[in-house]
Amino acid sequence: MQKYEKLDKIGEGTYGTVFKAKNRETLEIVALKRVRLDDDDEGVPSSALREICLLKELKHKNIVRLYDVLHSDKKLVLVFEHCDQDLKKYFDSLNGEIDPNVVKSFMFQLLRGLAFCHSHNVLHRDLKPQNLLINKNGELKLADFGLARAFGIPVKCYSAEVVTLWYRPPDVLFGAKLYTTSIDMWSAGCIFAELANAGRPLFPGSDVDDQLKRIFKLLGTPTDETWPNMTTLPDFKPMPMYQPNMTLVQVVPKSTTKMRDLLQRLLVCNPSHRISAEQAMSHIYFADINLLPK
Amino acid sequence: MAGNFWQSSHYQQWILDKQDLVRERQLDLQILSEEEYQKIGIFFSNFIQILGEQLKLKQQVIATATVYFKRFYARNSLKCIDPLLLSPTCVFLASKVEEFGVISNSRLITTCQTVLKNKLNYAYTQEFPYRTNHILECEFYLLENLDCCLIVFQPYRPLLQLVQDIGQHEDQLLALAWRVVNDSLRTDLSLLYPPYQIAIGCLQIACVIMQKDLKSWFAELNVDIDKIQEISRYIINLFELWKSYDEKKDIQGLLNKMPKPKLQPTR
Repeated sequence: MQKYEKLDKIGEGTYGTVFKAKNRETLEIVALKRVRLDDDDEGVPSSALREICLLKELKHKNIVRLYDVLHSDKKLVLVFEHCDQDLKKYFDSLNGEIDPNVVKSFMFQLLRGLAFCHSHNVLHRDLKPQNLLINKNGELKLADFGLARAFGIPVKCYSAEVVTLWYRPPDVLFGAKLYTTSIDMWSAGCIFAELANAGRPLFPGSDVDDQLKRIFKLLGTPTDETWPNMTTLPDFKPMPMYQPNMTLVQVVPKSTTKMRDLLQRLLVCNPSHRISAEQAMSHIYFADINLLPK
Repeated sequence: MAGNFWQSSHYQQWILDKQDLVRERQLDLQILSEEEYQKIGIFFSNFIQILGEQLKLKQQVIATATVYFKRFYARNSLKCIDPLLLSPTCVFLASKVEEFGVISNSRLITTCQTVLKNKLNYAYTQEFPYRTNHILECEFYLLENLDCCLIVFQPYRPLLQLVQDIGQHEDQLLALAWRVVNDSLRTDLSLLYPPYQIAIGCLQIACVIMQKDLKSWFAELNVDIDKIQEISRYIINLFELWKSYDEKKDIQGLLNKMPKPKLQPTR
């Protein structure tokens, strides 16, 4: 631990406090995540182990790097690559205006990071602006894999209640226990709209019921035809039959046609019809992508 | 994390070189012969296996725990941490990583105590000496020495695919090859060869035992046949060792001879 000089506290993560720190030898700035070991019986918490072992395998420019794991006394400290801010803080600094090229660049990087995770059979499960880090070069990185998991091992029930409400897909809100990469694609869709609106969340629901109503008011309540197995989901309950009376252009006023087309393919209630990260990256919206740092 | 073995930490950091392994063991091999060292390894692999079975863990979790154990002593002398403590710690960590769920520490300790008393009393006459705090501290050292590489690929999945490829109704062959894979955990194979090669080697041994001629099928596999022969050799050597060795009689002497940590636990 002598190697690092602790600077400011950055925040509270899933399982511990995060500090900014400086490597005394290299002067490199890093993020230190201290793992709380409060349950005497569990040892190193499973969520921390999950993050450690996934990040050890996932090395990609759009995924935050885990440099080192240190242990001193009864503490475990994870040393991460440091990014200047997260997407939520970035939104706060915008004053309601965002450059469309930035939207495109961030969205593309988000999809690229996701495509990499998914190709390694890893679901993030908890995508939200707070978990997307941004550095000075305009690079975006997925972080906070505490809830992520590999899905290589065949069917087991994945615990419900994992995604922050606002970015949860309807299948998970209805209690779906077996979800797939599609869970992250829904969240990516919500973040896409939020990006385009310079930080105004798309579905800021207050509880599960309100969350579902907000979604169905925009997209129309799914039917047996559009989503055959919906009624068999564990927490399914009949919802009012909303007709899609708002259009995406009303909700995302500054969007282009291509943008809305991609958005529409992400925000699909039936999880099996949601576009994959790989497919989304080759959508025409990205035809003129310019990833040079702005 | 399946399907990406070539990019994994398993392949990139933990497929070791035979010479390397011998060099790292130098200290222990001044005191123990290579065969004695292997016998100690076998004993503790068995301990891990029995522990896992008592705790109703899947074979995958048990195999991962065994590989952690092997990796730790591939880089450390037996005297760094008493293997009697490291074994349950490996089981504890593997069960969390493989998402089996957390085994309560008290249950783990109790299981160690019963296993030692009822199944391994020919090796240990005293009670299991470690407690929760020892396991938790040991977990840190284990994590550090594994360099946090926790995802381990096992030969079981490739074995299933291979047997499926041979054809339907090969349940007997699969069951036998599966057991040979379990046996392979008692060797250094998991430190030296990629799991799919180990799977092929074990399958070949199973075919020989069952006198099943699959030469043409093997010939069509795109693998390095020399490697497969090396793997088979390791397993045959293990079988030979087993034939002439009575663990119940010899293990106490070996454990006494084993290099030990200076400090023994105090309670």
